[in-house]
Amino acid sequence: MLKYIARRLIIAIPELLIISFMVFMIMEAAPGDFLDQYKLDPSMSKETLEAMRKELGLDQHPLVRYFKWLSGAVRGNFGYSFYYRRPVSKLIWERVAATLTLSLTSLAGSWILGVALGTFAALKKYSLADKILTVFAFSFIAVPSFFLGLLLLYLAARTGWFPIGGMISIDHNTMTTWQRFKDLLWHMTLPATALTLGSMAGLMRYMRGSLLDVLNEDYVTFARAKGMPERIVVFKHAMRNAINPMITFLGFSISGILGGSLFIENIFAWPGMGRLIYQALIQKDLYLVITSGLISAVLLVVGNLVADILLALVDPRVRLT
Amino acid sequence: MRKALVVLMLLAVVAIFAAEKYVWFDENTPYLGSDATGKYGGRIVVAALGGPRTMNYTVAKETSSTDVIALFMGYGGTLVELDNYARLHPCIAKRCEVELTDEGKMIITFWLREGIKWSDGQPFTADDFVFTVNDVYCNPDIPSSTQDVIKDSQGRLPRAEKIDDYTVRVIYEEPNRLAVRYIGGLYIWPKHIAEQWVKDGTFREKWTVEAINNKELVGLGPFIPVEYVPDQYIRAVRNPYYWKKDANGNQLPYLDEFVFKILPDLNAIKLAFENGEIDIYGVTAQFYPEIKAKAKEKNWIVGTGGPTYGTTFITFNWNHDDPVKRSWFRNEYFRKAVAYAMDKEAMIDTLLAGLGIAQWGPVSVLSPFYNEDALRKYPYDLDYARMMLQLGGFSWDKDGNLIDADGNKVEFILSTNAGNIVREGMCNIIREELGKLGIKVTFVPLDFNLLVNKMLNTTDWEAIVIGLTGSDEPQGGRNVWAQKGTLHFWNYHPEAAPGGQIKPEIYEAPDWELEIDRIFAENIKILDQKKVYEMFSRFQELVSEHLPLIYTVQQLYLYAHKADLNIIDPNAFGGMLWTLPWIYWKK
Repeated sequence: MLKYIARRLIIAIPELLIISFMVFMIMEAAPGDFLDQYKLDPSMSKETLEAMRKELGLDQHPLVRYFKWLSGAVRGNFGYSFYYRRPVSKLIWERVAATLTLSLTSLAGSWILGVALGTFAALKKYSLADKILTVFAFSFIAVPSFFLGLLLLYLAARTGWFPIGGMISIDHNTMTTWQRFKDLLWHMTLPATALTLGSMAGLMRYMRGSLLDVLNEDYVTFARAKGMPERIVVFKHAMRNAINPMITFLGFSISGILGGSLFIENIFAWPGMGRLIYQALIQKDLYLVITSGLISAVLLVVGNLVADILLALVDPRVRLT
Repeated sequence: MRKALVVLMLLAVVAIFAAEKYVWFDENTPYLGSDATGKYGGRIVVAALGGPRTMNYTVAKETSSTDVIALFMGYGGTLVELDNYARLHPCIAKRCEVELTDEGKMIITFWLREGIKWSDGQPFTADDFVFTVNDVYCNPDIPSSTQDVIKDSQGRLPRAEKIDDYTVRVIYEEPNRLAVRYIGGLYIWPKHIAEQWVKDGTFREKWTVEAINNKELVGLGPFIPVEYVPDQYIRAVRNPYYWKKDANGNQLPYLDEFVFKILPDLNAIKLAFENGEIDIYGVTAQFYPEIKAKAKEKNWIVGTGGPTYGTTFITFNWNHDDPVKRSWFRNEYFRKAVAYAMDKEAMIDTLLAGLGIAQWGPVSVLSPFYNEDALRKYPYDLDYARMMLQLGGFSWDKDGNLIDADGNKVEFILSTNAGNIVREGMCNIIREELGKLGIKVTFVPLDFNLLVNKMLNTTDWEAIVIGLTGSDEPQGGRNVWAQKGTLHFWNYHPEAAPGGQIKPEIYEAPDWELEIDRIFAENIKILDQKKVYEMFSRFQELVSEHLPLIYTVQQLYLYAHKADLNIIDPNAFGGMLWTLPWIYWKK
């Protein structure tokens, strides 16, 4: 098992290199650079722009810049953000907590609800409850999460029940721990709801289909015929097999933890990675973009690995060699 | 009779000498805020679109940073300051004299107020100012765009000298009309803190945004930023040593706290204002009617404060690779036809919800140098436009298409930056109107970066609708109007084109462009405002006559704030916060 993990991790290295290089090249190929936003400012002289270009290293050949970044990156230095003039790693680190708070909450919420409701719908196939859940799921699959976010934002603006954006109140730091927790929860309600509803609906449909497939298998019929209690048939035998495809799905969800909530974070002024990356892309803040690309790639690799290991644990047919 | 003559002659001599020495203001001129009467307490929350990048002014280039820096370095933290109509007032300097020497130098003397302290309690003296000028802004090792502003016409930097603890002189090698404003307006650095950074070469790395939470910021302004939560808010508290006092001798500022709440986009800012989370709101034209309608019910004050600075115009590439297109774009009658075909009323009504004015020239209406009489105007009239085209040698084929003297069909590509709804709307209106003249215009919106790069570095563009920021001072547009200016994009000089794209053999500069170039080179050395006014009037006349840029429309400055917040006379120059130290809550 350890050997398998080690091998997967070694294979990941060239993968990550290629991904980071591709992100870099795409950024290079896109027209313009970070300094373009200053070019139409009449108060900015040519000399100042040239000095900035030099300071930011934009006068060097792209390949030189890429390898400089790479040699720093292997030593843990991911370069400086042009926009913030601070180390990229610091900027990302500051926002990781915010993103994790939001995305782990909605990940947990959507999985628990998605799997539970999906199972319920499969067991109550074609009942009224199943039909209602189906309509509910399809509506949320059809509505993009950013649109849902906007609707919730307007709800907040009309009712005044929730804040318009942000993660904490201005007086947060003077509050007691309990008040801080409530403050955070109050700010998180809408963005977490928007994120949860969208992915929950998909998971629910997925779980329902997967469980129904398994429930139609011969061994389930056999187990029932043998007189095994329905509870054991469903939760011990059928669920175990139905969950396999879901685990692969979970692997992908892990890769999206840090960047997946990009739109929601932007709509709700949530100070997370998604917003940072979005701004970086618009500003052409090169090193911030490559580094976040790299992090997403690392998470994808890790997510897949976790999914494979979980699969091996759940499914005796899978052997990791 | 003889006696009278002597008196007259004496007066004339005095006048000549007096002309060499100008008192800009003296101890009797009150500082801004000295007549305020308000109440202490409260907090104001203002929206910011993004977080600051730095707290170091020599590095800062964007308003998200400079707006925060101004809290602790501006609003009374400078030697002189401007009100909302750009009129100069004394500030830390209580007296200012300008002297022209026989060698042609200009000496500015500032007398500083005594007893002023930094926010850490250290005394402020002439040394701080001399350090700021000589070691920070005029230091070649600390590049900053401030240097571009304080240089003279030959690119020489001034030098500051201390006379005593409360008197300083700044010496320019030649007269400079704007020197008092720019030198006096410099944000001052605390020598007792920053001197070490200059010595060890780390100046530009200091005062990053982390300095806020580390409580390192020291300034002369009314508020000191003390807390920054990335992408959430910046909180600044009252500077206990702020020097300004109100009419009753009470120390300013009135407010306890100033908060920038960071909200990602204009929609969120509008919603936050409606929700009461922010106290003031720079309204966009699109939302203005809605906000205005709710003003009474919500207890807001909503209004307009004159036109904004900044310009939006269409410009043509005079150095296009295709000689045929080049000849159209250089043809003045062609440009005049476009100007007559510009339906500015439609632009104001449909794109700015009626909240705008037509713009005819390069100088902002708010500027003291704006001269309406000097401007040639082109009211919307397609018949005039057709006449101009005929005068320019154009005619129409049997299908109604416009053709030039050689029979080429007139068609071109018009671009603007994609996503800017107002500019895209302008392009559509222009395309439609020119279509009526038989000109085929293809509208291609482009990504901002791509557009700017095409326009500045290549000859591969035909017509563009774009905007430039403006100011009350036309000289701020020197990079645009000088013949070799870096933003002289419609007709780059081969030596000045950023991409070196202009072939010298196709370059032509008409006489009036050279005259504008001279106006920009010379006005800066003239201290007589009246002469400068005449020069800039001529500049406005030349631009509106020859139309290198064809101006469109200008939005009005729109504002909204909670009614119990005492905000005074907002406009595009001062914004809503120009009286920040003496803003207060009425309740």
